[in-house]
Amino acid sequence: MEEARECLREGVLNHLNVLETEALVLSRQQKLCLQQQSRVDDLRITVEKLRAHRDQLKARAKTTMSLQQLKAETDQRNEERYEDDNSEEGCSRTGQSLLSLLMVRRTRVKDLLQAHHLIGGYDVTETRRGKGVSISIATAFEGLYLETYCLELDLSRAVRICRHNIPPFIPLEKLAQVHLQTDLIGFLSTLSSHLNAFAGRRQQICLIQEVLQDSVEVMESNMLFNSVVLMCTDSGESRKAMLFTLVYSDLSRYLPTKVTIDSEDKVLPSTPQWKKSQSLLLWTPAHAAFQALKMEGQIA
Amino acid sequence: MSLKPFNKLPELNTANVLLVENEALFQEKLADAIVLLENNVNVKVRLARSLPLPLENAENRPRIDLVAFIVHLNSEQSLLSAEASLKHLDSGYFLGKVCFLVTGARCGTLPYERLTSLKKMAATLNSPLLMAEDKTAEGVNAAAQRVLAVLRVAAGLVPTATGLSLSSLTRCTVAKDPDWQNEDRSHLNQP
Amino acid sequence: MDDSVKQVLRQIIRRIPSNKLRNTLSKWEHISKKQFQSLEFTQAKSLLCDNLLSLCEENELSMKHVTELEMIYRIEHPAQGSWNVCQLIDPEEEALTVDSLHFKESFKAHLKCLINHVSVKMKKHEDDALWIRIAWGDNFTQPNHLKPTYVVHNLQTPYVFVSGLTMKHRPLLHQALVQSGHYGAVKDVHLSGRCLTALRDLLMRQYKQVFPVKHPKLLEEKTPLPRTPCIEIEDTKHAENRMQMAAEAFGEGILPKLETAVYKLETRFKENEMGREEPFRGVVKFASSNLLESLKYCVSSGMASAPVTPLLSSITQKGRNYFVITDKGPGISNTPGPKI
Repeated sequence: MEEARECLREGVLNHLNVLETEALVLSRQQKLCLQQQSRVDDLRITVEKLRAHRDQLKARAKTTMSLQQLKAETDQRNEERYEDDNSEEGCSRTGQSLLSLLMVRRTRVKDLLQAHHLIGGYDVTETRRGKGVSISIATAFEGLYLETYCLELDLSRAVRICRHNIPPFIPLEKLAQVHLQTDLIGFLSTLSSHLNAFAGRRQQICLIQEVLQDSVEVMESNMLFNSVVLMCTDSGESRKAMLFTLVYSDLSRYLPTKVTIDSEDKVLPSTPQWKKSQSLLLWTPAHAAFQALKMEGQIA
Repeated sequence: MSLKPFNKLPELNTANVLLVENEALFQEKLADAIVLLENNVNVKVRLARSLPLPLENAENRPRIDLVAFIVHLNSEQSLLSAEASLKHLDSGYFLGKVCFLVTGARCGTLPYERLTSLKKMAATLNSPLLMAEDKTAEGVNAAAQRVLAVLRVAAGLVPTATGLSLSSLTRCTVAKDPDWQNEDRSHLNQP
Repeated sequence: MDDSVKQVLRQIIRRIPSNKLRNTLSKWEHISKKQFQSLEFTQAKSLLCDNLLSLCEENELSMKHVTELEMIYRIEHPAQGSWNVCQLIDPEEEALTVDSLHFKESFKAHLKCLINHVSVKMKKHEDDALWIRIAWGDNFTQPNHLKPTYVVHNLQTPYVFVSGLTMKHRPLLHQALVQSGHYGAVKDVHLSGRCLTALRDLLMRQYKQVFPVKHPKLLEEKTPLPRTPCIEIEDTKHAENRMQMAAEAFGEGILPKLETAVYKLETRFKENEMGREEPFRGVVKFASSNLLESLKYCVSSGMASAPVTPLLSSITQKGRNYFVITDKGPGISNTPGPKI
């Protein structure tokens, strides 16, 4: 009351002003409280949702685990059945049918994916009100998706590539000269094979560096990964260093066209054992070939 | 399609304000302040860079009770954009449902002609011109309070006061100069 | 060690800022660890330089070793001076298979063939880029190591980045490059800037480009929703559209750092009332610390009209920042730029 009187002495308007600001502050506090309350409620709901999600994931993990177990069991039983046919059956018939159902579903999805790739497999989007298209080409190696490259074509007059993110060492211009105007699908498929081969070659080197880092060393490679020099040591007594030069002259393939083996020991590369590995390198991806050589104990 | 003030029914206890600003720098701060300040009525703020508003929102858009144009004096574009947007406003709005908000008027280095032409524009349109400070929190709050005061009247939430009566009291006036009015009327596409 | 070597070393040390001197010298293999530790990096540069000179004298280092120091510094800090780009065209079959050893030898041989006194030094950087340092002399004078030319080239790619090249030596360098790289010709790309990595990213398309796809990212990821339901933004769709257009024209994430873009205008007045015969010439130059970022902001914020004009989007699409606009061409004339 004292306060009010103090204020009134300064004028009615001033007093009103003070009251108004006070009211504003109070209302703001009230509002903030309400907001906080609603936020707490929101968070509670989120917690519930997350809990449900967690339960779902748990259930899924459980089914996957049981699925793996079942698969192992069936494999085992198949082997057993191979040995003696009269073992007991039916105890996990339901499990088996579940398994086969899932297998069928998986195959179907795989088939669909393959079909998509067969009919072209490019993600095409119309741009600039139908005057252009944007096409993306996915690359993959051994079932693993790698980079996706895109290019935008201008269709208004002659077909023209207006922009793309394809690396400059892919001979895009040459491919475009040959195919682009007449055979778009052909152009895309050759381009795609070039890109896939490039991604495959690079992935092989990456895998070698990752998996075989203590036995095979990448001495030299270039941006196109079309000529690679690898070094490893022979597991024989003398522990000679072996130098592999892989040349990929067909740029649309991820396998080398020429493999040369060099060593300090001039005789070693021409032994039948190394001749065999030379041909192995011509027909299998480099990382797999070297892994095989390591398993056999041919290289250290 | 121009925005019309009366083609939709009003909602109970609700006031809608549309903030138009080309740069989208001050809008959001102001909108936050306005929403936070008012608690007796439901205030809804819509933000736009320019008029006309996109057609796809026309269905959901409530009746707009007040259109506030924010003009930054430090940019010519800001003024031009506001001027262009005015053409897409129905004439009904100029009966007390439009106001202008100017920032940066305190800065001495800015060309004075911009403020003058803005004042002339507001005066010819019979609309109030509010000066605002967008850099400080107090400035934003003060601007929000002023816009809210105009909005309450324009939305018909204050008994005995109408937008038209308020604007006749608060509209921007320019010192008498017989020449400018004719000039400006001719090039300003006034509804 | 003769005086010219000493002079060059002094010059090199002077150019390297003191805070980077320690790091650079530690990578130089021609002074031993013990010698390196004996150097005092806190003392004045001239004193340090004298100490270093005596060490070099002790090790009997020659010009070859000294210039290596400069190369190390240049490779670590490539954003100096202005880099120009040229493109090798008409590749022969061998261009895709040439390896670095072969290229090095052949380049040296070709250049030595063309000019008597020239000193060439090459180094392969970690990212497969070949760095070439050329000190030019002429038929009567020794190579000038104070003003070397730097050339950066990635084998199998057609682009060559050049810094510090005079007009006089240009044909020589181009000829050597064409012959040793197995190409048909070379042409200017009209792209220049201080930041080497930016130029390379732009031309090799290593920055993140955006293409229209059928399934764009969720919208929430791009624009944050307003905090309260009371505020609604009218033109979110337009804003997203603008953002997408800006990203399609200039890319996403960290953009290559270009400093300038120059447009040369050459046009004739249609109605020749003024009686002027000669064309009207004008130059428009955009300059910024990061030009592409600024242009992108202009478009995404709505300051520039939304479908980006081909004049601006050509910077990224064609990979050049110097354009000549004449009356004939549709927008941009056909002055040679890099082929897409």
